[in-house]
Amino acid sequence: MRLYEFEGKALFVSAGIPCPEGKLCRNIEEVEPIIKEIGLPAVLKAQVLTGGRGKSGGIKVVTSLEEAKETVKNLFQLKIKGFLVNKILVEKKISISKELYLGVTIDRFLDQIVIIASNEGGVEIETIAKTAPEKIKKIYKHIDEEIFSYELIKLWKELGFSGKILVALAKIGVKLFGLFTKYDAKLMEINPLAITEEGEVLALDSRISLDEDAMFRQSELAKMQIEDRHEEGELTPREKEAKEAGIPYLDLDGNIGMFPGGAGFGIASIDLIKELGGKPANFMDSGGGPTPERIAKMINLLVENPAVDAIFGARFGGVSRCDEFAKGMVMFLRKTQKRKPMAIRMTGNMWKEGMEIFAKARQETPEIFEGIEIYGIETPIEDVAKRAIELAQEASKLRKS
Amino acid sequence: MAILIDKNSRVVVQGITGKAGRFHTKMMLECGTKVVAGVSPGKGGEVVGLVPVYDTVEEAVKEQGANVSVLFLPAAAVLEATIEAITAGVKLVVVVPEHIPLHDMLRIRKFAHQYGARVIGGNTAGVISPGEANVGIMPEMAFKKGIIGTVSRSGSMTYYVADTLTRSGLGESTCVGLGGDPVLGSTFAEILPLFEKDPETKGIVLVGEIGGIYEEQAASVIKQMTKPVVALIGGKYAPSGKRMGHAGAIIEGDMGTAESKIKALKSAGAYVVEKFSQIPEVFKNLLLF
Repeated sequence: MRLYEFEGKALFVSAGIPCPEGKLCRNIEEVEPIIKEIGLPAVLKAQVLTGGRGKSGGIKVVTSLEEAKETVKNLFQLKIKGFLVNKILVEKKISISKELYLGVTIDRFLDQIVIIASNEGGVEIETIAKTAPEKIKKIYKHIDEEIFSYELIKLWKELGFSGKILVALAKIGVKLFGLFTKYDAKLMEINPLAITEEGEVLALDSRISLDEDAMFRQSELAKMQIEDRHEEGELTPREKEAKEAGIPYLDLDGNIGMFPGGAGFGIASIDLIKELGGKPANFMDSGGGPTPERIAKMINLLVENPAVDAIFGARFGGVSRCDEFAKGMVMFLRKTQKRKPMAIRMTGNMWKEGMEIFAKARQETPEIFEGIEIYGIETPIEDVAKRAIELAQEASKLRKS
Repeated sequence: MAILIDKNSRVVVQGITGKAGRFHTKMMLECGTKVVAGVSPGKGGEVVGLVPVYDTVEEAVKEQGANVSVLFLPAAAVLEATIEAITAGVKLVVVVPEHIPLHDMLRIRKFAHQYGARVIGGNTAGVISPGEANVGIMPEMAFKKGIIGTVSRSGSMTYYVADTLTRSGLGESTCVGLGGDPVLGSTFAEILPLFEKDPETKGIVLVGEIGGIYEEQAASVIKQMTKPVVALIGGKYAPSGKRMGHAGAIIEGDMGTAESKIKALKSAGAYVVEKFSQIPEVFKNLLLF
């Protein structure tokens, strides 16, 4: 879960990491009082949950109130990598003498927390690692291990700093590490960490990613109105509908509705359909023991999508049992006239019971199964995928003629 | 022989009195797993089916000789429950719940390492040695005892691999679900050497997916192995920056792409396949049986 720059800076300030004086602007009327308070020149920074703002025109320096108003108006119309701008951080312009980098993250190879510092900043640390690895120093710590100020003094000293600035940098390092542990972070970066012409050290930006799975124990963040949020830009209407129903779902650009069961097979089934020459219309994680109502909801998402010509379904009953799956399918088919051709395979826990539910429903109401093919354990999954692709080709021809 | 669990495994279910705990205890017992105890603080003295319930893991170990634990608990309770099991002397803890806080997983890994214990998961379907023991939530009917070891980051993929191996007659020695969370109790690199040493296992299937570094990390281990490793990586066509169901399945920048994983595995000598049906073909070509 990524934080906005202004939220990250609020955390920095709470820990005593100095940041430039700034205020958040949410609408055009707020510009004037904010500029009067902060003064000119000022920096206007679009608040979006993505990197590369500067290159996309999301950061502007203004020297007059008129310019500030005009720029705010323009920024509110800007879209950066799919993110609309609706908040702008207004900060006092700082005269920078040197830009540095400081970050804390988890080293996935070593399962340790790593503090990374560089005497070069303002660019991605990955770039520095490639071009000038000697400018990067690291400290590794096990989880819950303490960090001491002398360790950071040593680190920054190796990077060429001394005196008051050395002590200030070390303090910021200890504090950032403390925040990382306290708030269950995945990543905390200050880039750039700036030394001003006046010899102060300031965090000019914040890039923070917290663990959404630990939010339950972060009540302090909720008090600061930092809550779980969606991070991936704008959602399509169907993605929104799915999200509201708690179904992991993404729109893709093909014509085969994917109803695969499970997250892992959800990912792999896209590969399977592609390898066999088909085009998936979506990703969906339809696993995890869904109720019949939920299954009906999932299948409805696909049937209502005009781009979908046919549906590929699979159920391997583990936690999610086949009888529940069959009940959900029958419930959906009985409730609505909406149809798309489907090829579905079902096996795993309670598959015989599931097949009996289908057989019984077919006996009672054969018409609801028109265009719907259900396969069992005897048919390999790849054959069912091929069949779904054929059904989609037929339906697409029919639609076009 | 099998790895991690076998017919001598004595299983304690932590969280046995919950809905999932009860249901899966029944399922595990039905396929012959020796579920000898359950733990649910405050409910000591009760029984679930025929399984005695204790207040602590320590009692389950003392009274019933439990040596494997499986967790059916909320994510927030996993850290404590795992530490309790390990300090009570349990050497294998299977964490079924998902979305365990990352920092807790680091704590769990550190703790398990200190005590010489092994943790599997979170978000795992469990571990099964077909015909011997099934710890977790995997459907027994998909599996058949045999000569292939499987290690996988995805439950649903594991079932399709099992289906394929059963169909081809190869069967499985042990199937290990590593789990779908981003930081896992055990990794490919830690499980592969166990299969390499297991005389019953003749070849290994590694099922990976986008996100993280575990497949890349496995490459250096695969280089040292004598047994063939067939790898299947999910997410070749996954869009970047989008989370695909599993918390761990997200491509961030250059990291965690299917391409990077496939490249690392191939250069280590693994046989990377695109489809389930190719798995038995590779083993058959290697004249494994």
